Amino acid sequence: MTLFLTLVINGALQGLLYALVAIGFSVIYRSSKVFNIAQGELVVLGGFLVWLVVTGTALPLYFALPLSLVLAVASGWLIERIFFRRLIGEQVFAMVMMSIALLIFMRGFVLVVFGAHVRSFPAIFPTKPIIVSGVLVMRPLLYGGILTVLIAFGLSYLFNRTRTGLSLTAVAENHRTAMDLGISVRRASQIAWTLGMVLATIGAVVAMNGNSINFLASGIGFIAIPVALLAGLEAITGMLLAGVLIGMAERLTAGYLDPLIGANFASVLPYLLMLLILTFRPSGFFGWKTIERI
Amino acid sequence: MFRNPAGVFPLSYRQDMGLVRSRSQLVCLLLFILLLILGPWYFSPRMLAIMNTSMIMAVAVLGLQINLGYAGQVNLGQAAFMGVGAYASGVLANFSGLGFILVIPLAGLASAVFGYLFGVVAARIKGFYLALTTLAAQFVFHFVVINLPSEWAGGAKGLALAPASLFGFQFNSESSLYLLNLAVLVLMTYGGFSIVRGRHGRNLVAVRDEDTAAGIMGVDVVGTKVNAFLIGSFFAGVAGALWAYYLRYISVDQFTLFNSIWMIGMIIVGGMGSITGALIGVVVVRAIQEGITSVAPIVAEAVPSLGGELIFASYNMVLGILIAASLLIEPKGLMHRWNTIKSSYRIWPYPF
Repeated sequence: MTLFLTLVINGALQGLLYALVAIGFSVIYRSSKVFNIAQGELVVLGGFLVWLVVTGTALPLYFALPLSLVLAVASGWLIERIFFRRLIGEQVFAMVMMSIALLIFMRGFVLVVFGAHVRSFPAIFPTKPIIVSGVLVMRPLLYGGILTVLIAFGLSYLFNRTRTGLSLTAVAENHRTAMDLGISVRRASQIAWTLGMVLATIGAVVAMNGNSINFLASGIGFIAIPVALLAGLEAITGMLLAGVLIGMAERLTAGYLDPLIGANFASVLPYLLMLLILTFRPSGFFGWKTIERI
Repeated sequence: MFRNPAGVFPLSYRQDMGLVRSRSQLVCLLLFILLLILGPWYFSPRMLAIMNTSMIMAVAVLGLQINLGYAGQVNLGQAAFMGVGAYASGVLANFSGLGFILVIPLAGLASAVFGYLFGVVAARIKGFYLALTTLAAQFVFHFVVINLPSEWAGGAKGLALAPASLFGFQFNSESSLYLLNLAVLVLMTYGGFSIVRGRHGRNLVAVRDEDTAAGIMGVDVVGTKVNAFLIGSFFAGVAGALWAYYLRYISVDQFTLFNSIWMIGMIIVGGMGSITGALIGVVVVRAIQEGITSVAPIVAEAVPSLGGELIFASYNMVLGILIAASLLIEPKGLMHRWNTIKSSYRIWPYPF
């Protein structure tokens, strides 16, 4: 029973971390219509920015963290300016290809600038686990999970209730129409990438807190993809549910099934779930259904 | 717009539809193929090895071109499909004792079955949702190979093969494998041209441009998408089999997501929706890759603070910049640029 509870609780928390990264996909998609395959690479970049500022300078933490977020905003803006500014109004296909280019480029960039070796990542949250009657809860994941829920509801409010958010949503619907309505697609795209980069940085802090960082950490971007597709890309709060589901499924499989069959089935389970659910509900649980006209 | 050189007027439909339209084109093509066949006699050993891997890669990229460039179905799992072909040929060659003449097409078929599964998903999902589900191919492939009984597939250790042999002749040197790869590549290129110029190819293009409209016009959209995946993964499987016979040692690490992404990069650089474009993309990207490999030691010597790991890293950076630049400057790829140049000198001095 203790094992079951440990798996369920930590799985849910791990899932909230996936959801945090997946919200990055959603935010960029909902304000610029780009599916950013390179989100995992952005997480690594964000992580390295935090690492650089916190360990590289002697600044206190309450000053270093905002500074690294400012750097994250700047790099998000730069990515948008270099890669995506000129694609406004182009087909979705070109944007997918561009995010693939970004993925390869960022992988190379991180390797060239920071090298391939593993660095220890500073502990922003306390790392001591909480133990409640034998159930071990990872403290950074717990704090990260609470943060994720807050961020999700905050962003959901921004996108669904405020004027700015609704105009961003219009851009995700169609660049041309949004432009005709007087919405600045360029500004929406800038907001998308700065927000996406900030989320990636926060995700990096939660994921790597007190552990280590190197370029392979970008794998979390690929685990977040099933979460994003399961919820439907447009649903920000839906990510929480999908994340918790995938996280728990993964942990429970790893805990009960994998020792039985002696294989790492938990590593493919999210993708199989994704394939299964997309076959029956192509736009995910909460995604927008689109009507096609010629 | 495709234009014939001056003075060439087709006199029959057969001639108008021909792949090779004039005598001089035929002569050039035959000379080019002859030049390639004579390759082992004048290529340096390193060049020969580069050519071998490029030709194998080219077969897989041709398949991806049909799948992605013609049918518009983004596929991030081509390397996994290639891996399925490689493992299928490895297992077949080791346990059934069939000759490579049979093993290569069978490996293609095995991979096509794997691709079919994703094609069925493509019937329901489109756009980037589909691109992301093909990611699953990569992870499923890795999981399955690692967990197959290790006496079959070798698990994490990899799988070794005997050299391909035909009537007692062993394909175990670079130059004999070069000829084998070249023969298969020429055959597959011809096949690729035939597929995209025929009825199926037209269906693929119609579905790519607007699948709802294509469906209304009577094109079987679901069947076409499934076909695209079947064809694309068949090519990948053949490439995988060639790869297995070339290296004679296969492991899962040779077929990663990044290999798939590299193949997509080759297609974007070469030009989408063009068989020749796929070949050009492979040549250009491989040339840049090898160029970096040649230059890197010199740079590392001049600036010792940069380590050897930088080489792989700079490949990725350069390819990323290359894809981004071609999307921004020439979204239709090098092949389109070449066609523009060709038609402008053919109608010179008229502007268009």
